[in-house]
Parts: sequence; C-alpha cells; structure tokens
Amino acid sequence: MSAVGRHHLKDNNFEQWAAGRLLMARKQEAVEPDIVERALAKNRLGVPSVVFFGVAGAAPLTVIIGAISTIYAVVGNTAVPLVYLVVAAILSIFTVGFVAMSRHIVNSGAFYSYISHGLGRVLGVAAAFVALPAYAMMQIGLFGLFGVVASGVLAALGLKASWFACALVAWAVVAVLGLLWVDLSGRVLGVLLVAEIAVVLIYDLVMVANPAEGSVSFSALAPSQLLTPEVAAMMVLAIAGFVGFEATVVLSEEAKDPKRTIARATHWAVILAGLLCGLSAWAMSVGAGPGQIVAAARAQNTDLVFSLVSKHVPQALISIGYLLFMTSIFAALLAFHAAVSRYQFALGREGVLPMRWGYTHPRTGAPVVGSIAQSLLALAVIVLYRLTGADPLVYLFAWLTTVGGLGVLILMWAASAAVIAFFVQHRRQENIWRARVAPIIAFALLSIILLATIIGLGDLLQVSDGSIFHWVFSVGYLVCAVIGIGWALIMRIARPEVYAMIGRGADSRTVVGVPIPRRPSSHADPFSVHMPSIK
Amino acid sequence: MLADQYFLIAHEDRTGRSRLHPRAIGLGLAAALLGELILEGRIGIEDGDLVLLDRHPPADALAHDILDLLIAQPRHRDVRTWLAFLSQDAAIRVGERLIRLGAVEPVTRRRMLTTQTLYMPNSAEQRNAAAWAPARLANLLVRGMPLSISDRVLVGLVAATGLTRHVLYNFETHRHAFYSLPSAVAALPSDLRDLVEYTEASVGSVLTVGRR
Repeated sequence: MSAVGRHHLKDNNFEQWAAGRLLMARKQEAVEPDIVERALAKNRLGVPSVVFFGVAGAAPLTVIIGAISTIYAVVGNTAVPLVYLVVAAILSIFTVGFVAMSRHIVNSGAFYSYISHGLGRVLGVAAAFVALPAYAMMQIGLFGLFGVVASGVLAALGLKASWFACALVAWAVVAVLGLLWVDLSGRVLGVLLVAEIAVVLIYDLVMVANPAEGSVSFSALAPSQLLTPEVAAMMVLAIAGFVGFEATVVLSEEAKDPKRTIARATHWAVILAGLLCGLSAWAMSVGAGPGQIVAAARAQNTDLVFSLVSKHVPQALISIGYLLFMTSIFAALLAFHAAVSRYQFALGREGVLPMRWGYTHPRTGAPVVGSIAQSLLALAVIVLYRLTGADPLVYLFAWLTTVGGLGVLILMWAASAAVIAFFVQHRRQENIWRARVAPIIAFALLSIILLATIIGLGDLLQVSDGSIFHWVFSVGYLVCAVIGIGWALIMRIARPEVYAMIGRGADSRTVVGVPIPRRPSSHADPFSVHMPSIK
Repeated sequence: MLADQYFLIAHEDRTGRSRLHPRAIGLGLAAALLGELILEGRIGIEDGDLVLLDRHPPADALAHDILDLLIAQPRHRDVRTWLAFLSQDAAIRVGERLIRLGAVEPVTRRRMLTTQTLYMPNSAEQRNAAAWAPARLANLLVRGMPLSISDRVLVGLVAATGLTRHVLYNFETHRHAFYSLPSAVAALPSDLRDLVEYTEASVGSVLTVGRR
C-alpha cells in the first residue's frame, strides 16, 4: 500500500473515515449524557448501593461473631486471619474474569447461567441442581444460629425461651416478609450495615488495645502458617463468609454504568469483607492471646468476642452488639431466602423447574412458589432437629452452613472453569489478564481448595474416622449434579424449545413459544454501534 | 386506544390502584405506547432496535409527543432502553390522556407524607366503561372470536406483564382461551411480536431484582 500512497484506495478510505466518525461519536457520547440517559440514571444504583447489596448477604457481624469463633474452635488453627485475606485475594482474582464475563451475557443472574453459557446447558442444569440445595442449606443453617443467640439474649433479660421457639418466630417473620417480597435493601440495610461495621471496628480496637499477653502479637499473621495442612480446608469455612458477593451481578441492569459499577462494586464487596474478617480474626487472637484463642473459642463459642471486650467497654455497647448480631443474622436469613426464591423463580421461568415456579404475585412481584417451598423446607428441617434433639449450634448451624459452603465452592469452581471456556470461544475485546490469566489462576486455586475440602470435610464436621459423613455430602452433590445432567438430557429430547432457553434466567419469554436466536447484548461488541437508521 | 385499554385493565376500577408491580405496569404502558406508533405505521422494530418509518405526526397528542421524542433522540435505538425510559412516566401520561377522553378523573390521596394522584373512574358510566375493558377481552378470547391486530397486541401485553389471570379469572371455563393465547400472539407481525417479547423480558428482569 505504501508504494501507491494511502489515498489511492478510495473504498478503504471510506471505512477509515467511518471508523473515525464512530470514534468521535463515541467520545461525544461519553461526555454529555442526554435526557434519556439522565432520566434512566436517576433511578439507578451507584457503587455503594450495589456493595451494600453484596455484603448484606454475607452479613459481616454474623460472620465475625458466629463463623470466626467457630472456625477457631473447630479447626484449632491460628491461621484464621491469614486465611480470610488469602480467600479474599483468590476471590478477587476470580471476580476479574467473572465480572468480565457478566458484561457479555444477556442475563447475568446466578452462577448456573454463567456455567450454561461457558460449559454448555447440560452442565448448567447440573449446576442449578447443586446450587438449590447449597443455598437452601446455608439459609436453614442460619435459623439454628439465630435460635441459639436469640434464646441466649432473652435468657439474659430473664425470659425463658428455647432455641426452637426463637427459630420458629424468625421463620414465621421471614416466611411472611418473603411472601410480601419486602426487601430490606436500600436505607434500612445500609444503616444496619454501617452500624455493624462500626461496632466491629470498635470491638477490634478494644481487643487490640488490650492484648492478653501484654503486647500486640502479629504471630497469627505469620505466612508460614499457610503451609499447615488444615489451611486449605479452613478456606471453605472462610468462603462461606463471602457468599453473596456474586449476587451483585443480578443488579447489572439496574446499575448506573453496567460496565463499571458492577465490576467496582463486586471487587469492593470482596475486599471489604476480606479486610473486615481478617482484621477481626487477628484482633480476636490478640485479645485472647495467640496461645489461648483456640481454647477460649472452644469454651465460649459465639460469646467469645463479647466476653473479650466486655471488661473494657460499657455494658450498653455489649447490648448493642448483641442486638446488632441478631439483626445481622436476621438480615442474612432474609437475604438468603430472597436469593433462594429468586433462583427458583429464574429456573421456573426458564422451564427447568415446573412453570408454577415462574409465577410471581402480580402486585408485589414476589416469586410466591419458590418462597413458600423454601419456607416449608426450612420448617421441616427445624422441626426435625427439634425432634431429634441435636445440638442446633453444631449440627444445624455449623454443619449445614459448612456443607452449603461446599456447594457454593463447587459452583464457584465450575463458574471459574466456565469463564475460561467462555473466553476461549471468543476473546470479545477483553484484555489478556481478564480473559485468560486471571480466570486460569482462579480456577487452579479454587481446584486446590475444593480438593482439600472434599478430603478434609469430615475433620471440619468433627466426625469420627469411618463415619459416612466424611464423604456423604460430596457424593450427595455429585448425585444432584448427575440428576441435573439427566434432567437436561431429557429436556433436550422432550422439550427442545425449552432446552434452548436454559441459562437466560428471567429474561426468557414464555408468551411466544418460538425461540428466536440469541441476540448479543448491546455492549457485547464495541464496534457494532448501530447506525441511526433515520434520515 | 391500546394504551388506554391496557391502563383500564391494569388498574382496579373501584379504587384506582394498580393491579401490578409499579415497574411492571410502567413497562406494559410504555410498550402499549410504542405499540400504538407501530400500529399506525410510524415506527418498526428490527433486531431489537426501533426504526423510524414515517415522521408524520399521529392524530393523538400523546402519540405525537412520543414520536417527537423518538425523533429527537436518534442515539438511542434499543427497544429496551426506550421501554425503560418511557415506563418512568407512562402511567401519568396515559392517565392524563384518559382524563382528556373523559374516561377517568384525577383523585389526590394523602398518605403519611406523600400525596398520590390516582386516575380513577368516578361516575357509574366511567366505571362501567373501565370494567368493560377486561370483560371485552375475555369475551373475545373465550368465544374464540377473531381478534383485531390491536387486540392481539393487548392480549400479548396482558400476558407478558402477568395480568392473564385477572382477565381470564376462571380457569375451568376459560381453559381453551388460555391455550389460544400463544397463537394469538404468534400470529402478530414480527415488530409487534418482538415488542411483546422485549416487554416480557424487561418485566422478568425487573421482577427478579425486586426493586421498586
């Protein structure tokens, strides 16, 4: 071309000119939003609201007071603060590819829709069948924690109520609020969350300012501890503290800037939760003394933090802490309830579950059937635990959330594989870090954690050698996945038009039974700017 | 007109309250307004984008207004963007048009701290007309009478926003009418069918999130 001169080929020049015009048009677009964009942006969510939505599911106070002391007690290893930081780092790497993929798929609802886009619809349905019991168990497990904590608080006030009664009250309120589709998102949740974080930071400060061994010890942060064998298995317990961060992508159509808001908010949600949990776990080890923390946690369970700080702060602050702890568990219960019903609604709307599940209450938009199903399941499990008399804190809370956490870990692991597969099919203008390097690192790390968890699950649940609980849960998830695969294959033969819609979530259409080929989302390809067809 | 019929079906004739989630009703009305312009041949839908076919103003003032908005904002063509944009004030716009037609009257309600304007039928005549809107549609569907193209869009939007069970409230006697819904919508011209589909998809994702 150089011999002839650039201006020789007129046809090619037109393309260059058009590309230049498009670039200019895009630049202008970025500078001044017009009335349509402004009007739409007014009602949309910024980064803080999306972060609240993501962190609320994880409920920081529940994790810090409930989960961290349980991990110290169960695993008996002081590497907890470090484990939280490492898990936050791993999930941050995972988030890079996950959020990049969310920009390219039309319906970015839950993990299973990513898996069906990346690894195919058959595995997508399998993932959905793993996700349903996993999230359901995490929610039901929290009822055990709530029951025990509430009955303890009432006992301190001189009222006698069993954990079962307290859990039933919480169950009834959650069931009703779930049916009314009251979301505590927005201001209520924001205020609660800020209060929780403030209390956590005050407690941390008090514990660090009053070290048990006279001086502040950083030994709990020594990296060499990461080489102990329990660490990988502890990570599954830590991951349970981050559950919910992936829910942020549900809001991608509600965000001010779908490309940036969601990505930033998801990263913030992970980092915030990681730092807060890591800091608190370290502060606890300082407050109790790195040598005694395990024994103290075993003796006092969820009261550990409160008993550590009670000597140094006014009683009112302890009461506020207990109150916020209860509201925090309750908010988590409600968030998980909504997540489970939303999952069932999306699956029903797609036709994976019976169509009944896709029905919503006309006025409130509540996914009624999913909500009732989850409530009934929770009631059955709570009553079952009451009848068998099993310890609600160990067998209801710790067991179910650990096993649920394993399911969520399986989903994350599969989703990280889906991200790799998705970008192998097509790079879609993402850079090499987002499309290749980060997803592969995340997949490798999550694979290690998953393997270690499956091997060490029995020890986490503290069952004796030879007990079936060493392997029954992992096999259970495998069975769920196999049933999902079978169901998907049946659907492919019996209802091919429904099968074609899998993975599109609530975006799918049921009025017109004829599937149309999927249209790439408007921002899938930055150069397909639609030329205005007017004029 | 299409949006008027949809408005009357989607609101209770006695109290003026909406029968649907506020965002779902907004999307339904926005789709009905776009549907009116498509029916009049002013715009079309191609691959998810609105296409301007004819710039001559329609006779109706509201349709004229919407068409001018579409002409003035050539940068936005995505149907779902326009559905979201128009849904924000569609209820007020269509309510005002119904006032001009004399079908409803504005009623201001005070609640706690906010005031709310409801557009509701007040006289017996207006109430009869409002109650007739869903009954007429049910009648057509149950008797299997041929539907006009405008009524078929209305049926599609009713189904897409989740009002089917209100219109066909008796499942046992209306069973065959339920089964005729998909074919009534599928027989629409492709623009209008797309419109119904995009509406349903938007309603689905709005309900999934559950925000108001």
